[in-house]
Amino acid sequence: MKTETVAMILAGGQGSRLGKLTKQIAKPAVPFGGNYRIIDFAISNCANSGIKNVGVVTQYQPLVLNSHVGNGSSWGLNRHNGGATILQPYSSVDGEKFFKGTAHAIYQNIDYIDQKDPEYVVVLSGDHIYKMDYEKMLEYHKRKDANLTVGVMPVPWEDTSRFGVMNTDKTDRIIEFQEKPEHAKSNLASMGIYIFNWARLKQYLVDNQSKNRQMEDFGHHVIPAYLRNSEAVYAYQFEGYWKDVGTIESLWSANMEFLDPDHELNIRDRDWRVYSRNPNTTPQFLTASARVTDSMITDGCYIAGEVTHSILSHNVKVGKNSVIKDSFVMPNAVIGENVTIDKAIIGEGAHIYDGAEVVGIEEDIAVVGYGEEVGGYSDEK
Amino acid sequence: MRSKIVPILNLLEDYEKLKPLTDRRPVASLPFACRYRLIDFPFSSLYNAESESAALFISGSGHSLYDHIRSGSTWGLDSSAGGGVFTHSQLEKKSATGTDSKHGKFYYDDYYKYVTRSRAEYVAIMGSSLLSNINLNSLLHFHEDKDGEVTIVYKKIRRDDLIADSKLSALQIDNEDSSKVEGVNHISDLNGDEHIYLNMETMLLNKKTFLDFLFKAKNEDLSVNVANFISFTIEEGCTVYGYEYTGYLKAIEDIKSYYDANMDMLDEDNFNALFYRADPVRTRAKNSAPTYYGSTAVIENAQFANDCEVYGTVKHSIVFRKVNIAEGAHIENSIIMQDSSIEEGAVLKNVILDKHVYVKNGARLEGTPENPLVIAKNSVVYSNGEIEEG
Repeated sequence: MKTETVAMILAGGQGSRLGKLTKQIAKPAVPFGGNYRIIDFAISNCANSGIKNVGVVTQYQPLVLNSHVGNGSSWGLNRHNGGATILQPYSSVDGEKFFKGTAHAIYQNIDYIDQKDPEYVVVLSGDHIYKMDYEKMLEYHKRKDANLTVGVMPVPWEDTSRFGVMNTDKTDRIIEFQEKPEHAKSNLASMGIYIFNWARLKQYLVDNQSKNRQMEDFGHHVIPAYLRNSEAVYAYQFEGYWKDVGTIESLWSANMEFLDPDHELNIRDRDWRVYSRNPNTTPQFLTASARVTDSMITDGCYIAGEVTHSILSHNVKVGKNSVIKDSFVMPNAVIGENVTIDKAIIGEGAHIYDGAEVVGIEEDIAVVGYGEEVGGYSDEK
Repeated sequence: MRSKIVPILNLLEDYEKLKPLTDRRPVASLPFACRYRLIDFPFSSLYNAESESAALFISGSGHSLYDHIRSGSTWGLDSSAGGGVFTHSQLEKKSATGTDSKHGKFYYDDYYKYVTRSRAEYVAIMGSSLLSNINLNSLLHFHEDKDGEVTIVYKKIRRDDLIADSKLSALQIDNEDSSKVEGVNHISDLNGDEHIYLNMETMLLNKKTFLDFLFKAKNEDLSVNVANFISFTIEEGCTVYGYEYTGYLKAIEDIKSYYDANMDMLDEDNFNALFYRADPVRTRAKNSAPTYYGSTAVIENAQFANDCEVYGTVKHSIVFRKVNIAEGAHIENSIIMQDSSIEEGAVLKNVILDKHVYVKNGARLEGTPENPLVIAKNSVVYSNGEIEEG
């Protein structure tokens, strides 16, 4: 059967506003919600939308991301006629294929897409927390006979200056694109989700490259070029929860929202699962001294202290008389006894020694990096 | 390095006293400790010893086993280079009718085929009802050092650690050369306060010794359970050594011992002995969300798997995946298997809920530690205590 769709997940960005959480790993690999990494949402959307060929384009600090995605078996993508493929920059006679922008990342991987020879390419970002059926968007794309469909969502008018804004006519055709406008004419923001007819996109990417015109970024170059040339560009409106966890505060608040059992994402929905690589670990052990309320706890945790309104990822240990509140603790962190953690993000494998305090405020969340140690014996005195 | 061991999982285990839990599953697929099945333990031993394949011999149809094992990839048994899980089912029927597909003489053909096709030098035979975490590599080193024909694993326990009518056996260990096995006794012949060397029905033997046995069995038209074949090797004059296992062990022979094994896990020493060691226990990965504990949840010394929603009180209990416990429900000293739902105000003490049981609001279910109450799979328990089996 001919491949209709290939999804390309752009997962090469650093996400520098996440500070020390993205020093060693790329933003899409940052842990989220106890059991997940950020990219799980995009890959799971692909799997749930019936997309069987998924290219994951990596570049910045790819090691964790690559081993996480693997051959895509965690998402049921390890099939003979498809699968997840990690696409990393490589060198060729044309030089090294590192990429400089979103469109350039697709350009550098033309060989992969051509090997699959699809009708459509779905371009996604690996940075966002949301559930979306790309199949519906593809139906819309076909119905509109579009060359490009851009996923958009309404944002509050005061926030429009942070987004690429799409002005549409009554048929949802995009007639103007404003990148981070001061005075927006619409409040429909681009979600960085695109469906292209592959043949046409390839033409744009290849032709302009050979003419030495800049075609590196979808927002800055490709969409404006499509609009200038009166290509059929349509907006597909998404309604639902969508979050770019680009900063420490937004990562923290997205986790706190995720905790709510009535959260819009409905993580327990059996018909739209969010898949992830599953660590083989033990049950969660809550001892006689544990007190756990309004919290999400993951397998492998051992809790002898108090946990309130927090998310603990797998294999987190919490010692006696420690209190964790309003916090997100990443996998394999070890928290000793008499520790206080409040409004904090604790990195993977961090070690918080007995009696230490990690306390932030809502506007300034405390962060402990991956493998970082806090407290313990001091050299001073 | 290629594995030196060709493993046979002998799962022809007695399930009568474990009913109704074993109505629709073999002992090997009994759920254990929130997220495991008993088969995970021998499989993990194989994984930790880097075995490439395994042969399974089971008495019934084995649907629940296949569902759990799938390709065997969880335990690294799915390599296209020599990997595979070879399952042989319905042995009970074959044994009862005295025939394999054709004739009694073919009873061991599947064993023969599997073992002779492997290049490995040693055959390992393991079961699943003697819950333990055995390191096959150290067993292998011991076996090679001793240079005998058979090494059998034992644990020193007291007779009354086992049930009164236990069907297990004990080894007679030579005192002069403390690891030589001289004979086998039925547990039922032994006294309560004695220390015994429990035959753990896990053994390693030279491939030739095993093939000799198959040859003899074929000629004499035998169809004995391979677990009992240790007596045969002793009678034949083989050198048999005993390898002492010192980790956690529970012989799961009836409902009570099954219940106790689960409750044992709530003791940190037992839990750590079985799970926190260099040889991890692996089980089939299932996709799941973390467990949510609501603001009304009260938890005391309990274990849970992912994907539960807990608003009630849970004390000293084992809770599997996807269990909902409503506010005001009270659960104590119980085992709640996956997909069960317990409504408001229900009280459960010393109960084993099999999978997918629905306990309606206000219902009371009470067993005793000596005689835990088992609610069969898919049952509905109404508020007035009436039970409708599914």
